[in-house]
Amino acid sequence: MVSALPVQAAITAISPLTADTSLLILHTEPDHPVASSFLPGQFLEFSLPGVGEIPVSYCGYPSVNGSIELCIRHVGHVTTPLKIALPGDSVGLRGPFGRGFPLPSFAGQDLLLIAGGLGMAPLRSLLLALLQQRDFSGRLILVYGARETGALLFLDELLEFKKQGKIELHLGVDRPDFCLAGPPDCQIALLPTLLDRLDIDPGRTCAAICGPPVVYPQLVSSLRLMGMADARIHLSLERRMKCGVGRCGHCAVGTLLCCVDGPVFSNAELAGIEEALA
Amino acid sequence: MVIQFIADHNLEALLERLRRYGELHAPVLSDDGVLRFAALTQGETSDLSALRTLLPPKKYLLHPQETILNYSADTGYQLPVEVAPPLILLGLHPCDLAGINYLDRIFLGDEPDPIYAARRAALTLIGVSCIPDKFCSCQQMISPLKALSDLFLNSLDDGFAVTSASLRGDELLEGIKDILEEREGEMPEDSRRFFGHVVSEQLRHELDLTLPEWQELADRCLGCGACSICCPTCYCFDVLEFSGLDGRSAVRVRQWDNCLFKSHAQVASGMSFRKDRAERFRYRYRHKYRGFGALQGVPSCVGCGRCRVVCPTGIDLRPLTERLEEVRHG
Repeated sequence: MVSALPVQAAITAISPLTADTSLLILHTEPDHPVASSFLPGQFLEFSLPGVGEIPVSYCGYPSVNGSIELCIRHVGHVTTPLKIALPGDSVGLRGPFGRGFPLPSFAGQDLLLIAGGLGMAPLRSLLLALLQQRDFSGRLILVYGARETGALLFLDELLEFKKQGKIELHLGVDRPDFCLAGPPDCQIALLPTLLDRLDIDPGRTCAAICGPPVVYPQLVSSLRLMGMADARIHLSLERRMKCGVGRCGHCAVGTLLCCVDGPVFSNAELAGIEEALA
Repeated sequence: MVIQFIADHNLEALLERLRRYGELHAPVLSDDGVLRFAALTQGETSDLSALRTLLPPKKYLLHPQETILNYSADTGYQLPVEVAPPLILLGLHPCDLAGINYLDRIFLGDEPDPIYAARRAALTLIGVSCIPDKFCSCQQMISPLKALSDLFLNSLDDGFAVTSASLRGDELLEGIKDILEEREGEMPEDSRRFFGHVVSEQLRHELDLTLPEWQELADRCLGCGACSICCPTCYCFDVLEFSGLDGRSAVRVRQWDNCLFKSHAQVASGMSFRKDRAERFRYRYRHKYRGFGALQGVPSCVGCGRCRVVCPTGIDLRPLTERLEEVRHG
């Protein structure tokens, strides 16, 4: 059975993005669905042999040559030992799992991507997909907040997209860095504040949100205040999906399962569900 | 109607015959006074009228801890080879049969769990009718789950009426036909009638969080998780991996987990979406009466009453269920 057995993959590169976060490039069998057919917002189960398995969002776009990009913060029982992993080391992968962002419904709309911290990873996957989509003609706005300047992920890439006029970029950090100059126009403000300064057309904008769970309630209420309908607000929920196939019971959100019904939900789908956002 | 009848005095012969088809397990009262499903050795008898074993038959399908993957540096991860010898489970009451039906819906289907599927295929189910006691609630709610078995023994005054409901059941029936008698009579009703109903899809409101009962029940709950361990339809599992001492091998295991434990809803950074006991309590309620994911709307409570028997503080969800769930027997 495909989804129970991890396929072997090799680490081809592991490069630091910030002090505690790396970009991991893996290589597995060409055309394996775990590498070739996923949607932004979906996740895979990543195994470090002898250590364990964790759900990780995709941060790149699908490939036909078997390569996969993952953004890893080295803080957990699996991700900490990964710090000393070397190119050539072998890992296991299962997936793709879950439901990603509803790309077709974004056609003809303005897109507002809101990323907090590591939430930039899955939204980078969405951003790359939108930039590749030829029929995407609306505004592409990215609001991205991190703890400090040094924790901003994919900064060079994002600034390049901005320079080319492909995205509108609004960066913010919670606190200034003592030794790092911030990127141009980076504000010292929390995500909801960044959002308040935006001018959007709520009737033709869809929002895609990924960040630490603690910011979700406030982001949602800010968007609603701006006049955005719940069906236009898409959130990627944080849960610990241990099996990925709706069996282990750890990722239930009300009576929905994050690993099968999500992890991306519209706020309309989450209406009235206890413990969905916080 | 003509009934295939087996007399009480022929039960021992029945057990003997059944052993030809595989290892025979049935409710056995152990020395420490616990009724449990265990191997029924030659000469031993089972009390088929006993109502509930401490653990439900799920222990045969999902072991408390089991290996789900083996790893070696040379071959990568590999599925374990599950060798499941034929097992005959005798003495399953309709609630336990419905419980197995629920587990089947979770672990079989489009992408069957390989370990569960192997064990399930090796299992022959022989049900026995029963009369609900004060702890039972099968009679309280209509259940869409089916109390399916290969053979079913319906209790009569001096024996059992035997019916088959599968090809395997037909085969068994053929093998015991010399100890069966044909009798004219009426088949008595049994508690299977509470299962297998079509439950109309209705939009059910999210649980009312302001009900004082949640906090009252949670205040009594010790969070011990006994209700979940002994529930025939609780299947949550945790996944752990252990490295071999050679540094080149590993095993991944899954073990029964428990939604009443704090760790169950923890995510990265130690944050939890169900911090207090009332929230965890509602999670359990949702699973038992509302169902998750693909089984949304299918209640998983089969009414066996085990949770009520084992709860150290005597928590009983029935009054609450009666108020919150509208599907009920008329």
